Amino acid sequence: MVRPYKVKALKRKKREEEEEYDEEEEMKEEENEQETAVAKSGAEGEEEEAKRRAEEAVDELPGIPIVPSNASAGSGVIFILERASLEVAKVGKTYQLLNSDDHVNFLLKHGKDPKNYRPDIAFQAILTILDSRLNKAGKLRALYVKTEKGVLFEIKPFARIPRTFKRFSGLILQLLQKLSVNASGKREKLLRVIKNPVTRYLPLNSRKIGLSYSAEKMVRIHDYVKAANSDVNLVFVVGTMAHGKIDTDYTDDFISVSGYPLSAAYCLGMICNGLEQKWNIL
Amino acid sequence: MAKINPNNSNASMKKKKKKSSTKKLLSAPNAKAMIAKPAKLNPFETIWSRRKFDILGKKRKGEEKRVGLARSRGIEKRKGTLLKEYEQSNKSSVFVDKRIGEQNDALGEFDKAVLRFQRERQLKLKSKKSKFNLSDGEEDDSAMEGGGSFSARDDFDDEILSDDDGDADGTERKSSIMKQVNAYNPHDPLETSSMEREEKKHKSKKEVMEEIISKSKHFKAEKAVQKEEDEQFMERLDKDFTSLLQSEVLLSLTQPNKMNALTAHVNKSNSNETTKKDELCATPSKETLKQEQPDAYDKLVREMVLDMRARPSDRTKTPEEIAQEERERLERLEDERQKRMLATDDSGDEGNADFQGVDKLSDRKLRSISGDDLGDSFFNEEPGSKKGWVDEIFERKDAENLESESSSEDSESGEYESDQDDGSDENFHESQKTLSLEGWEQSDDDKLSTDFEEDEDEEEEIEEVEEEEGKRVVDGLVKLKDKTTREVRNEREDLLNTERMKTSVEKHPPRKEALPFVIEAPSTLAEFCSLLNNRSDAEIVEAINRIRACNAIRLAAENRKKMQVFYGVLLQYFAVLANEKPLNFKLLNLLVKPLMEMNVDTPYFAAICARQRLLRIRTQFCVDIKNPDKSCWPSLKTLFLLRLWSMIFPCSDFRHVVMTPAILLMCEYLMRCPIKSGRDIAMGSFLCSMVLSVIKQSHKFCPEPIIFLQTLLMSASGSKPGSYQHSQFYQLMELKTLKPWLQLQSLVSDIEALDFLTVMDMPEDSPFFGSDNFRTSVLVSVIEILRGFATIYEGFNSFPEIFLPISTLLHKLAKQENMPNALQNNIKDVAQLIENKAGEHHMLRQPLQMRRQKPVPIKQLVPKFEENYVKGRDYDPDRERSEKKKLKKLLKQEAKGAARELRKDNSFIYENKSMLSNLDSWEGAGKEGNEAVRFCHFPFLGAVPSIYFSSLPSTGCIFIRPSGEVGC
Repeated sequence: MVRPYKVKALKRKKREEEEEYDEEEEMKEEENEQETAVAKSGAEGEEEEAKRRAEEAVDELPGIPIVPSNASAGSGVIFILERASLEVAKVGKTYQLLNSDDHVNFLLKHGKDPKNYRPDIAFQAILTILDSRLNKAGKLRALYVKTEKGVLFEIKPFARIPRTFKRFSGLILQLLQKLSVNASGKREKLLRVIKNPVTRYLPLNSRKIGLSYSAEKMVRIHDYVKAANSDVNLVFVVGTMAHGKIDTDYTDDFISVSGYPLSAAYCLGMICNGLEQKWNIL
Repeated sequence: MAKINPNNSNASMKKKKKKSSTKKLLSAPNAKAMIAKPAKLNPFETIWSRRKFDILGKKRKGEEKRVGLARSRGIEKRKGTLLKEYEQSNKSSVFVDKRIGEQNDALGEFDKAVLRFQRERQLKLKSKKSKFNLSDGEEDDSAMEGGGSFSARDDFDDEILSDDDGDADGTERKSSIMKQVNAYNPHDPLETSSMEREEKKHKSKKEVMEEIISKSKHFKAEKAVQKEEDEQFMERLDKDFTSLLQSEVLLSLTQPNKMNALTAHVNKSNSNETTKKDELCATPSKETLKQEQPDAYDKLVREMVLDMRARPSDRTKTPEEIAQEERERLERLEDERQKRMLATDDSGDEGNADFQGVDKLSDRKLRSISGDDLGDSFFNEEPGSKKGWVDEIFERKDAENLESESSSEDSESGEYESDQDDGSDENFHESQKTLSLEGWEQSDDDKLSTDFEEDEDEEEEIEEVEEEEGKRVVDGLVKLKDKTTREVRNEREDLLNTERMKTSVEKHPPRKEALPFVIEAPSTLAEFCSLLNNRSDAEIVEAINRIRACNAIRLAAENRKKMQVFYGVLLQYFAVLANEKPLNFKLLNLLVKPLMEMNVDTPYFAAICARQRLLRIRTQFCVDIKNPDKSCWPSLKTLFLLRLWSMIFPCSDFRHVVMTPAILLMCEYLMRCPIKSGRDIAMGSFLCSMVLSVIKQSHKFCPEPIIFLQTLLMSASGSKPGSYQHSQFYQLMELKTLKPWLQLQSLVSDIEALDFLTVMDMPEDSPFFGSDNFRTSVLVSVIEILRGFATIYEGFNSFPEIFLPISTLLHKLAKQENMPNALQNNIKDVAQLIENKAGEHHMLRQPLQMRRQKPVPIKQLVPKFEENYVKGRDYDPDRERSEKKKLKKLLKQEAKGAARELRKDNSFIYENKSMLSNLDSWEGAGKEGNEAVRFCHFPFLGAVPSIYFSSLPSTGCIFIRPSGEVGC
């Protein structure tokens, strides 16, 4: 309850400072302000998460431990979906998430290539990650999505993404306009737009692995994952675009998991399977 | 505060105006205006706002906003309003320019002159019109003027004006009324008519009277003509009516008696009319008649109203409908015919056949529901195949007659036992397996029973409920019947013997006496036996059918009792037949069908009968087992009865009044009866196969048959019970003195199927039981039964524990040297089957886990989002709250806007003030005539360049004269 006031005060201060700047700077500053605010709330979100975990632990306390509770301890995995083509546009009078099926004419009119607008790839990929046993077992640390436009947002592992594409696009639409989506019935942000770059959210002992069909290093994902040190947080960077490759400078390793060009969802499924085997999740 | 308020309103007004003006600005004409004077472009106005985020397809307001331009516009507006107010603020009077056309910039000098001229002319005209009005011309002028300058006028003027206007109107109206009043007499307006009469008064009275008279005459004549026409019309109507009556159209519409009345009435009325006409001619006093006639007519009409209304007849039917109706009619007739036939069955064979058909037809519904408890497909057969069934039996009989009779019967009994699932459960008679009648019946049953089980149960319940009231009767009856049966039982043998004696003595020529068509249901076995005396099997079945037909429950209420008694009698007869020494197996088989069918009618009674019998059998068994000398294995009769019940009642029920005790009894036999001879072994294996067939559907677990089979196998293998580790198993088997009954002594070349009935017929100490042939055939049957049990119990978790010892036994058995090859293969097959399934079970078994629970997945939260989210819209479900929020937002926005406007106004005024003061000081300097100073002062203006650059060219309100004076 204290938080909003605090944030507001902060904002106000910022604004007062900003008024002295030039117009050009103002915009950037506004963005910054927004992002810092978001970052702050993010920090608080982490606190909440910790609290929640504690609560869960309390819940599980009576009786014999149900599963070997190594879920909280040790390493986890983080996924970053790069170049997701999630873009909002005003089509007619309404705002819509652009996709190549419904907005061909619109995109052509605005001189865009419809084949690049494929939000369904990101949808599939997100579903694959969040539906995996990995996530059910609590091994997924975080999921970040960066759109083609450069908007970075975080999806909490315990968010239940809508199962249909239509509802998914509604969700993303709201996220990109409102910058955050709350849980229904709870004041907890399940999705929120955060400040770039993504590296600032990655844990220190993380190994960032980019995946690409064009990568020279082809590995057997099960072995690769098994070989990774257990106390290192694995970060997988997968592109969810229709064409092209990811170009990230923060990845430590760049691998390909198959001789065939795979869809993002399947590739993620492979990774998830490998990790599930590694951590012995049934 | 007083100042702020107008300012505030001003501000909002300005805002609105600004909006509209910006909009205008965007539109073409303004752009054109800008193009028209490009030279005067203010460089600050050309600054456009930048877009922040690029959202495809979004037209942003900010994009088109030109900040500089908007600012200059605002300043200009202030100049027009705020500045003027400010200038006026210290003045006590206001100069109002009321020159005509002076406010309108668009008018030229000439136009103004024209306007003035027009005004003058108007004034002149008006002054003429209002000649008598007291108001002076000047005020009138202003009244006419109205419009834009009106608001600028003094309040005082305004008031007078409006008053005057109203007055003028009012007076005018009044005056006109007064004129009217003056013109007329000062009397009531009602008197105008009298005045008119006065006008006519110059006509003489005579003339008037004449006029009146002529008028009245004219009216009378008209009346007469009218009357005549009416009468004519009436006559015509009457005529039409009579013709209508005669044309019989009405006849179809109304009832005939009514019609008569109508015609009578018409006749009467006709005559009436004629008389009436006469009367009419004679006397003008037709009033009474006239009244009378409509009365009669009215009566008729009323009657007709009360009559049945003519209904639209049925439409013409299509050929299909006609055919359908015809069919229905025929069906109805057929039904009636059949009912008649049911009532008095006197049409002989044909009638009987018909009756069977009827029975089947009428029963079909019932049977289709409760078909299962009969356990057989008798009722689902086609009419043709029904007959075929009988034929087939006969055919089979013939075929089997070629062999020895006993063997044929045995084969049938074998099929009785035989299991239909794999058909090879009992290889008693392989040659006939394919043709096995029981076979397809049972297989049919398998299919049907699952479907009908529930229905049938419900049906049974219903029937039970139905029979609740009849239960008491039945109970009494059962007791009675029991008594009778006991008596009968006591007397039975004597009776049968005597009868047989009689028959043999009397030597009735066979089939001399034709079966009577109407047979009362016999109430005792003796009666029944006497009825069936010396008949052929077919005739017996026929007789039973006829009895059932004549005493069908549907025919009369008391028939239920009769049929129940008859059912008991038939059951007794069945039992008696089963007990007979030269077994009439064919007849037994034939009896099954009527028993089953009758069971449908009296299920409750049948169950009671079966239970009573079971009870008796059990008590008998209990007595028998205490006597070590006597064989306690069930008699053939008991076996047949058990078999019959397993066919009649549903075996798959979880709990059934008859079948549960029956199964228990069978198991008890298997468990408790000691094996003393080869015959006992055959009996035991037969019971095992019966249990198998009974529990095949329900997969109930009966350990007794398996243990029995195991014992048999053990005796075959010749292993000593003591050497085996399953000690508790031998405790159970304590009663069975285990001898190597089945140990093969020598190699048997061919395996024969065992004929159960022959075996039964043999005495206990027959040498056949010691032969290896018997042993092999028993072993074959045992193996097959074992296979059946293995397949049934394969789903059990304890399957390996149950069957693995048996499989080891089997392996041991297969290794014996005297084992024939075929049998060995069989044994190996079964052992393999058991091992495979046990292996599966072992594979699926998991170690015991303590408090095993599924892993709990993380709790997921559902995001809250709206379809078609629009930024800025409030999605609060609480309407009030959202409204409040909206209002608050609006208020805040307005407050902000107002504050902003105020701030801008203040700065504007301040700038003006400072500028003026600067000008003053500058002017002071100018008086000194120092051009350089003047120039130096100019930069003061530069401090607020945005205002001045924008204002200078457009208005010229502030200008600098060449002389150096600054004016507004």
